[in-house]
Amino acid sequence: MVSIEITGLGVVCAIGCNAEEVRRSLLEGRSGIAPMHFLSSVHQEIPVGEVKLSNAEMKGMLGLDAKAEVGRTALLGAVAIRQAMAEAKPKMQGKRVALISGTTVGGMDITERHFEQMQSLRRGELSEEEREVLRLAMKHDCGSSTREMAALAGLADAEVCTVSTACSSALNAIMLGAEMLLRDEADIVIAGGSEALSKFHLNGFNALMILDKGLCRPFDKERAGLNLGEGAAFVVLQREDSLSNEQNPLAYIRGYGNRCDAYHQTASSENGEGACLAMRDALGMAGLKPSDIHYINAHGTGTLGNDASESAAIRRVFGDQIPPVSSTKGFTGHATSAAGAIETAICILALRHGFIPTNLGWKEQDEACITPTQGGQRQLTNVLCNSFGFGGNDSALVISAVPHGFPTEEKTFEPEVIDESSLISETGELDADALRTFVTAGEARRMSRLMKAATLTSGQALQEAGVTCPDAIVTATAYGMLETSEKFLSDMLEKGEAMLSPTQFMQSTHNTIGSSLAIRLKCHGYNITYSQGEDSLRWALRDARRLIVTGRARTVLVGLHDESTPTLQDIFCQLGKPMPPLLQSRSIVLGRKGEGKAPSDSFAKEENPGGEGRNI
Amino acid sequence: MEQLINDLKVKIKEALNLEELAPQDFDADAPLFGEEGIGLDSIDVLELIVLLEREYGIRLSNPKEGKAIFKTVRTIAEYIKENEKK
Repeated sequence: MVSIEITGLGVVCAIGCNAEEVRRSLLEGRSGIAPMHFLSSVHQEIPVGEVKLSNAEMKGMLGLDAKAEVGRTALLGAVAIRQAMAEAKPKMQGKRVALISGTTVGGMDITERHFEQMQSLRRGELSEEEREVLRLAMKHDCGSSTREMAALAGLADAEVCTVSTACSSALNAIMLGAEMLLRDEADIVIAGGSEALSKFHLNGFNALMILDKGLCRPFDKERAGLNLGEGAAFVVLQREDSLSNEQNPLAYIRGYGNRCDAYHQTASSENGEGACLAMRDALGMAGLKPSDIHYINAHGTGTLGNDASESAAIRRVFGDQIPPVSSTKGFTGHATSAAGAIETAICILALRHGFIPTNLGWKEQDEACITPTQGGQRQLTNVLCNSFGFGGNDSALVISAVPHGFPTEEKTFEPEVIDESSLISETGELDADALRTFVTAGEARRMSRLMKAATLTSGQALQEAGVTCPDAIVTATAYGMLETSEKFLSDMLEKGEAMLSPTQFMQSTHNTIGSSLAIRLKCHGYNITYSQGEDSLRWALRDARRLIVTGRARTVLVGLHDESTPTLQDIFCQLGKPMPPLLQSRSIVLGRKGEGKAPSDSFAKEENPGGEGRNI
Repeated sequence: MEQLINDLKVKIKEALNLEELAPQDFDADAPLFGEEGIGLDSIDVLELIVLLEREYGIRLSNPKEGKAIFKTVRTIAEYIKENEKK
């Protein structure tokens, strides 16, 4: 038996720059949402939950030159990681160390500051100074941001991985960290997430018309949207056998679930299917009954759709035994990709200090919603933390005050590649006839070039493998939806911060492909997206392998999908780097050795009656 | 009015990437949403709100208002006529 111990915690968010400040704000009911101070945007009417530290202050804390151009995501993350490591003080010598971080923004704040200048430097002779500006584009992707964060936090030698499933990124990062420890792939994992506010996603959420211009009111009848926040939180996770005598665990990871709502790119299903399955998986793995959970930290964004859907899911899982539930987004704002880690930090504080945080902003009961708790002092043993993302990437984590042993010896299966399909297009053009086999004209209207390519190769690979619906979908992408993101960014800079396209924004997140495939295939199984530069596919295959070996999936659809844009190609050219292809898509169906091309879509039903088993 | 309707059809097709839609499916009185219609959804409502503001200077602050306005191309045209005069 092995247990996963949380030995350190670091957090910076709107209500505090360390765990103690966060704890006090929670107890005093003090919100961190306020008018914009650091973010530069014309939308001054939109309140935000900013971390009350400037980039210069954070650079000072990290011993960096104030002039160095470092993304806010990396700065926030490094500050939180350093706190977590200072508390845990793990013995690092000879240990396998990994840093797993969730983010979507990555280096977008740098890109949006310099994009116009970068555009003007795409051609012609450049001075060394101008070349420096173009080099900033290499900080754009999530993987680079996490690598820089690792270096700033003194973890340059650690294995580094970025998970990018939009607003559930950080919770999925923590789950991956725990999974690596359980499978003995690492001794110490620092896991969490970091996300800075950017003009890009502020305008994107504004275009989706889901921002409350006042303070957000999760679960309230009159709720009118969310407040964006930012921040970072990391936990140090260790197996008990790697603990030194001086270390005292703060809490324990007890169970987790990752499922896909497979319903819509931005809307949540009415019955909260994905959320419901994720919570049931987490409880199943933890070996707990609904009545064993003493507090739920809800995703509770304050949007009409999320709160009703999450309430439906909680009612389905907990029936008439719903424990106290609160959303703490009225304190922190919605820190998007970092939210799951910040809320994990809040759950750990609640367990350690015996209190339940209140649900700020709630006044009036909505019949479609659960009644949130007003909080108070209470001893807690097991708490559940929910985190959901665009595309229905829904995850849930059970954290416990008492150790829980997981069995180390399980039946294992050998994985093998059943089929593979790939394409590389230098021109960006796709075989229209082949595409039409899998995509109707109506479906194609909202698909970017990369999405079409991904749909084509995964359709071909699944068809050849004889699989209608895989048990899990694992996606790798270094740059994500670059064409769509660049279009949104160009529009924002050229036409100003008004009247931007919501469709473009909702398709800009890295998990767009993985979740769209799930929607197409109606695949409610495990769904994750890795964005770690050239290592993305390696991480994806490693995860898929884990799923097959442990018997949690019989078939996994793994994909590597990346695109380039003329802008990026010009920048690579100016910097003398080899140019990435305009479009590449590779889909692999992984299965159990010896089972060949047997259809597997009945697997979940057979082995997990009612979806209650563990199928993460 | 007919001029406005034709103008709107072109703009809506472009904004929502409906180029492949056959002309007979895009009747001025055909429902835009729901299963009998051409199957637009809540995200299309948001795109149509952007279109109204950008092309006609009409601002809708609540997406819920959109439901009645965006029933058909004709109802959109009527709404534009009404609000332009003010």
